[in-house]
Amino acid sequence: MRAFAPAVIATGAWALVTGVAMVRSGLPLGPALAMSAFVYAGSAQLASLPLIVAGAPIWVVLLTATIVNLRFVVFSAGMQPYFRHLSVPRRLVLGYLTGDVGYLLMMRRFSGVAHDAAERSGQIWFFIGLAVSNWLVWQPLSVAGILMADRIPPSWGMDFIGVLALITLLAPSLTEAPAVVGVLVACVVAIVANALPLKLSVLAAVLAGVAAAIALEVVRERREAARSATSGSNE
Amino acid sequence: MSDLALAIVIAGLTLVTLGTRSLFLLFGEHVTLPARIRHGLRYAPASALAALVAQQLVLSDQRLDMSILNPRLDAGLIALAVMLWTRSMLAAMGAGMAAFMLLRWLT
Repeated sequence: MRAFAPAVIATGAWALVTGVAMVRSGLPLGPALAMSAFVYAGSAQLASLPLIVAGAPIWVVLLTATIVNLRFVVFSAGMQPYFRHLSVPRRLVLGYLTGDVGYLLMMRRFSGVAHDAAERSGQIWFFIGLAVSNWLVWQPLSVAGILMADRIPPSWGMDFIGVLALITLLAPSLTEAPAVVGVLVACVVAIVANALPLKLSVLAAVLAGVAAAIALEVVRERREAARSATSGSNE
Repeated sequence: MSDLALAIVIAGLTLVTLGTRSLFLLFGEHVTLPARIRHGLRYAPASALAALVAQQLVLSDQRLDMSILNPRLDAGLIALAVMLWTRSMLAAMGAGMAAFMLLRWLT
């Protein structure tokens, strides 16, 4: 249970911040509620708000949100082995519910798809539990943010509580060297590339982080292979 | 934006969420990823969250602030250090929030 408290607080704080931001940006109540209920992707909502308010062409809004969400394409490639045996409608529902937090906890819990059918369904149910609780935390707090936008003063630093919660959620992943290197590279790329148009910086950071982690794994394996080869010849 | 345009945008954004999140779930059978890359994808969510956090810590209103006088950056790093050291979320968030408020008051 301890592992889930940071997830709940991070999700809840971001939902509240996203709800408040939608109303503060000038979005009317109805569209804000509809966006929360259907779009269900905080970072894409936050990225598209200024464009909507500025009256940008629809295709620019949708293209920007697509690029912000391209990291989910990477995630879906990681989830594919787990969901492979399910029907298409089920894959669509579970895919729609795969956010950053659920995927992080899923990857931390399992190192690969189980070969045994019962275990495999246990993995799916673990994911469903994450997805449903994420939805149950996100939706009411997003609505609360929308309805109470005027009563939550910016000076509370609500958005910073969300950032801190994400940090505590992330920290337990920093136990293996490839993960640490991936995270560091992702941070550097996200900062250096922050001015890229259409929010390309986050996708660039994810790809660079994964590439760096894989590169370190390759280097380590080669070194180990070389070591066992030399120790083998000594015997 | 007109009501109609807004409705189209929200419907479009919903499809974007659904499309990006399930792309590989629907068409993944037709693509065989090398085992190395498939295994490497487990590092993707931590990289994504780290990228979002990093931008939150050093960017405000599109402006980059990497100085040690940036309260968000300092407080974030303090929270990370406390979390890695104590493994206690409460301690980490408390330390981070206290540092943030103190530094914001000081600077």
